[in-house]
Amino acid sequence: MKLYLDNPQIETDFEAVKASLPGLADLRRQAMARFTQSGIPGPKVEEWKYTNLGFLARENYLPAGKSGRQAEIRQFFDQAHIKDIPGPVVVFINGYFNADLSSLPEEDGVDFSVLSHNPGNFHQSLQASEGSSSLNDLNRALVTDGYRLDIAPDVDVEHAVQIIHIATSGTEMASLRTRGQVKLGRGAKAAIIETFIGAEEARYWFHMISDMVLESGACASFGQFQLQGRNAIHMTELHTEVSDHATFNHVNLQLGAEISRTELINSFTGEYASINLSGAYLGRARQSHDIFTRINHDRPNCKSRQLFRGVLDKGGKSAFQGKVVVARDARKTNADQSDKTLLLDRGAVANAKPELLIYADDVKCSHGATVGEVDPDQLFYLRSRGLDEDAAKGLLVEAFVSEVFDDLENERVAEKFRQYAAGWLRKEGAL
Amino acid sequence: MLKIENLHATVGGKEILKGLNLTINDGEIHAIMGPNGAGKSTLSYVICGREGYEVTAGSVFFNGRDLLDMSPDERAGEGIFLGFQYPVEIPGVSNMNFLRTALNSQRHYRGQNDMTAVDFLKLVRAKAKELDMDPEMLKRPVNVGFSGGEKKRNEMVQMAVLDPCLAVLDETDSGLDIDALKIVAKGINRLRNADKSILMITHYQRLLDYVVPDFVHVLADGKIVKTGDRTLALQLEEKGYAGLDIAGNAA
Repeated sequence: MKLYLDNPQIETDFEAVKASLPGLADLRRQAMARFTQSGIPGPKVEEWKYTNLGFLARENYLPAGKSGRQAEIRQFFDQAHIKDIPGPVVVFINGYFNADLSSLPEEDGVDFSVLSHNPGNFHQSLQASEGSSSLNDLNRALVTDGYRLDIAPDVDVEHAVQIIHIATSGTEMASLRTRGQVKLGRGAKAAIIETFIGAEEARYWFHMISDMVLESGACASFGQFQLQGRNAIHMTELHTEVSDHATFNHVNLQLGAEISRTELINSFTGEYASINLSGAYLGRARQSHDIFTRINHDRPNCKSRQLFRGVLDKGGKSAFQGKVVVARDARKTNADQSDKTLLLDRGAVANAKPELLIYADDVKCSHGATVGEVDPDQLFYLRSRGLDEDAAKGLLVEAFVSEVFDDLENERVAEKFRQYAAGWLRKEGAL
Repeated sequence: MLKIENLHATVGGKEILKGLNLTINDGEIHAIMGPNGAGKSTLSYVICGREGYEVTAGSVFFNGRDLLDMSPDERAGEGIFLGFQYPVEIPGVSNMNFLRTALNSQRHYRGQNDMTAVDFLKLVRAKAKELDMDPEMLKRPVNVGFSGGEKKRNEMVQMAVLDPCLAVLDETDSGLDIDALKIVAKGINRLRNADKSILMITHYQRLLDYVVPDFVHVLADGKIVKTGDRTLALQLEEKGYAGLDIAGNAA
């Protein structure tokens, strides 16, 4: 099914951004051609069965304007910026790099570049996940800006790099398409925190694709906080390749947007490496979170762990699709997956689809998916000790989600994560 | 302190308590014994306000106030503590956080301010020490991975910290070895004074060797059918319920 083909707007979109980013014209034209061939995935595509994109055929999204009200931008910046972390901050507004609010990395061995400043430099890396999906190509064709972070071998980056994406209230019916590229050289170590935040009322489509490469022995911690406005569409893909003895830790928080889709696509390219994905998704009425993970155990002796926790209030919807593929010669693979969703109301819907495809012998794989309600025995136990109903529920929900925070090495990031989650629960009356 | 009159209660539509009367005065320790299914646990849950336990007739007054109008947390705020037969595990909530939240919730209910972090820490450490609890256990999630004895010890530490006026202990002694039983007894005896009352629900008279009750009641078929002093417990131990013409109600 090719929904988007019926929508002539896409060609106009392409015309509008084609002239920007010199040096990438051919690459973008080819991406556009591939996209128009395949179109937006329809409801019969298995991977998209829980998020129907049919509305995209009816809604026209034009590339967003670069600027917005300064006061609004400042407010979002202050909200997202973790001030206790003294490291560099990179800010994108409506899909464009903003030099005024950014303080770029200056450490030796940390090379940072901006897509719109030097498009030619991105040519090679933009080919990374070429053709992997039609939406990936759409992003490649219509991208307006992005960043690349290269960490030289053996560099241990002192402070976490914060990247903040802001969507202003001027993004009504606009698309924001950005790109991220991160490479950690052999033995390098770095932490990145990416926050997505936007205007509460505007209907905008935020769409970001990131590619990450960890060379031998590298260690990356990558956190993503999604705090988009309640009418937003939020889509991210993160493609990660992890080489031998390298470690990739990812933590993900989905709080905002009307429709969110988070794809975490991971491959092992060497042995004795590990991938840890953890995340929490909190959903209320009219909100849908779709988490899609894939871990390709292509090499032996690797370890992966996935831990996701969802909390849904009345009218909230979620999907967790987690696929682990253990290739024929990937012996001694150790893969764990756990997804649990707590329903605060019977009128919420949680879908879980764990998939394990194991073609190798001598592996240890597990998966668990549950959907449940607040335990009445636990609730009574807390109340019998003096906590009122709301406080008791709040404590239980917080505890349920806290397993995800426990993985966070950086206490400041964990604290921010807790604050965001607690703020959401308080707003929902669950805390 | 506690005055229960003609209490009738149902669970899932089935009448369990059938006109129970019980008065506990300040400073008294009462033990309730009785065959399986007599309604012992139901009584403790009704006193503490558990959902699903419906009072169909009668009254329960605590220090002159109608308990049945209150939520479980309000009853806790009034000074009632329930020691659970099966203490609940709460992953993700540390014992310390749990105790602090509970204590401050009760203080708020009584119009008091939060206890300072320093005072709270001192209090908890002292109580844990008195009851031989490893301070490391205070950092662990509530009851998670605790043995049966450790869970009951944890109940006693909670009771000591919260310092209730009335402790209702629902088979706190069941499933304990002799050392754990002594700890539980110690917890109860430390609470004991002229202003506090304790209601112990137990299957065995063993606990009563360590905590000497003022009154022993036999609960059968939803009513208190016999009341005496501690010698009644000894008679029961010797002759059984049937020997005292008390029918079981396990059916």
